[in-house]
Amino acid sequence: MTQEIIQIDGVSKSFGKADRQVAALNEVSLAFRDGEFAVLIGPSGCGKSTLLYLIAGFESPTTGEIRLDGKKIQKPGPDRGFVFQDYALFPWKTVLGNVMFGLLRNGYSHRDAKTVAMEHIRMVHLQGFERAFPHTLSGGMKQRVGIARALAYNPKVLLMDEPFGALDAQTRKLMQQEMVSIWEATQKTVVFVTHSVIEAVYLADRVVVMTAHPGSVKGIIDVDVPRPRQYTEEHYLHIRQDVLALLEDEVAKSAKALA
Amino acid sequence: MMNRRIFTQDAAARWRTRFVAALQFVLPFLILGVLWELIVRTGVVSQTSLPPPSRIACKFWELCVGDHLLWRHLARSMYRLSIGYALAMGSGLLFGSLLAMNRILGDMFSPILSLLISVPTIAWVPVFLITMGLGDRTVIAAVFLGGFFAITYNTIRGIEMVDVSQVRAARTMGARGPKLFTAVLLPASSVSVLTGLRLGIGYSWRALVGGEMLSAMIQWGIGKMIYQARFWNDIVVMFVGLLVIGLTGFLLDRLLIRWLERVTVERWGMVTER
Repeated sequence: MTQEIIQIDGVSKSFGKADRQVAALNEVSLAFRDGEFAVLIGPSGCGKSTLLYLIAGFESPTTGEIRLDGKKIQKPGPDRGFVFQDYALFPWKTVLGNVMFGLLRNGYSHRDAKTVAMEHIRMVHLQGFERAFPHTLSGGMKQRVGIARALAYNPKVLLMDEPFGALDAQTRKLMQQEMVSIWEATQKTVVFVTHSVIEAVYLADRVVVMTAHPGSVKGIIDVDVPRPRQYTEEHYLHIRQDVLALLEDEVAKSAKALA
Repeated sequence: MMNRRIFTQDAAARWRTRFVAALQFVLPFLILGVLWELIVRTGVVSQTSLPPPSRIACKFWELCVGDHLLWRHLARSMYRLSIGYALAMGSGLLFGSLLAMNRILGDMFSPILSLLISVPTIAWVPVFLITMGLGDRTVIAAVFLGGFFAITYNTIRGIEMVDVSQVRAARTMGARGPKLFTAVLLPASSVSVLTGLRLGIGYSWRALVGGEMLSAMIQWGIGKMIYQARFWNDIVVMFVGLLVIGLTGFLLDRLLIRWLERVTVERWGMVTER
């Protein structure tokens, strides 16, 4: 927990044409440490997904810059893995084909790609489904493929945009637990966006709470609860209260702005 | 034992649904055929302007099995169709992709495309007759033009509608340039592209028949068969031609396009299975 792998320096982002600009992010400065599990949380419209898109290189900041390993981020690339809320799997490829995709684009031979892909399919407990097409899988299974696909080619950081948002409560809880074991096994830096406080505090080393309209960092809360965590543990619940307290007036503000 | 019984019940049920489907398919044709036969036989409509289905069927049989003339006509038409359609497919996919991927090109060419798409292909044929002669080339050009616009348009639409997350996922994993196109954009737009191919083969087939009728140096071809029948006042042959045109168009769609759909978009769950 020493080195900073992602540095966000005075980043602002606005959308729209010159005369009707909407500010999504305002002067965000933040750093993520190598190997940490960081969670971005905030009311809807706080720009947490926008910030993740900027790190991914899907969009460019209006001002400021983001560096990964000291290098300015210009466009998407395989030093990052991205997990989408809507999975974004390739329906024309099997589970194996989806997971092999990134490997084949990054210099692996077909044989090696298959071996590595199979390891990751086993890691997310989908062995036996390699030949299945995504449309035959449940939401939870699809997102397992999404995670395996994003990790297979060994990116430096894993960016996750509300990855469990579309799942039912039971599946979601299971995925959170497995996400912790995957993170522990792979030692990846994870930046995870969610609007669930329960999820944030269960997963994170640090929770970054964001303000709304335009988004900026309101506060960062360290979650010093040893893993495996219990959803009922007292200290865990305390931290949840802290995060909630930080969030609440933001949610109220956001609601007022929309009303 | 149990399993076996369930299996046979399943098989029986499957055959029953197949039988019902076949009946549903055939029945309207039968009803139409019988009504038609009655109308002509009772003299409501004279046989010289509308031959009864029985005579059409006999003539069809004669041309098929008797002197094989029908096959020669059909083979020649198929030859022209496959060349023209292959050209339309290749260039439509290429041109459509270029216009969809390059904003400047797209903005430049889309008005021209909209203008050209409303010109019936058959209206071009006289021009082709002068520039390309009275033979195969004119017909192939008509077939090409017939399919080209539908394929181009639907390719553009398909690529424009590709899910942005899928493209982002691919770009994150390092796909770019031609690889991004072949590995993601093309398969992701396959539903729309297949619609273009389906419409395209229909338009190509229609253009072929018209082109064959207008090209004087052509002797063989299903369109030519109908046209020549005019000189002998052979209305039965004309109806055989109409029947064969309809049937061939139907089979092209069922065998070629439906097969393509089954092995791609249906297998991938991108459309609901039929």
